[in-house]
Amino acid sequence: MLVLTRKLGETIAIDDDIKIVVVQIKGKQVRLGIEAPRETKIHREEIYLSIQEENKSAAESQTTSPKKVAKILRAS
Amino acid sequence: MIVETSRFGELNVSEQDIITIPEGMLGFSKIDKYVLVEHTDDSLFLWLQAVKKPSVAFPLLEPQLFELQYKVELCDEDRKILQLEDLKQAKVFAIITIPNDPSKMTANLKAPIVVNVKKRLARQVILHDQDYPIRQAIFADLQRHCATTQRTIFPQSEENTYQIIPISEEIAIPAEL
Repeated sequence: MLVLTRKLGETIAIDDDIKIVVVQIKGKQVRLGIEAPRETKIHREEIYLSIQEENKSAAESQTTSPKKVAKILRAS
Repeated sequence: MIVETSRFGELNVSEQDIITIPEGMLGFSKIDKYVLVEHTDDSLFLWLQAVKKPSVAFPLLEPQLFELQYKVELCDEDRKILQLEDLKQAKVFAIITIPNDPSKMTANLKAPIVVNVKKRLARQVILHDQDYPIRQAIFADLQRHCATTQRTIFPQSEENTYQIIPISEEIAIPAEL
């Protein structure tokens, strides 16, 4: 991984069309401004990861038989 | 062709019913061919079954069943991947997680599947600007829906029978985009 040191207001350029600016530094939080072409996908990583996790859970769903449903609904 | 599945047995699938998800589902990027499967009775669930992975199938529901105001805003990239010229070609499904206790089922409203039924292309889109949950409890809403319609949440017969849903423009109505 490339590690760069930047001060407040300084920028990192990636390719010709992506810019990342340090907008604010406050304690352990850094606010970043990102300029990129519309088609660039930018997400907080945890959103991606939680959707992946949820997809994995969804793909393990099983079909439910009437007997099983009746049993669970009685128990609840 | 015959598609082997772990939930629905062997399914006879014709080529024109196969949906391509070019980028795969998030976390399943290597699986790009799917078919839609439904129960033959009036139960609500559809399943997005992987053609070459018998154990991978995602339960789907129309989001309007539990979220009347649900609106999906597609970005340019979504339209490009889906080759979507007309929103009338699109159908939106929420992906459902059904745990062992099905009354605790949840819907992912943050990242639904959008299908271009004309091109048989689909994409799991992420709704950036809209504050929808990844896990929304829906069982009570489905019960309410079924109480007023002739439908059931789950199949009523122990003998489960399934059929492939032919992808046609008919399933695109009503698309809520």
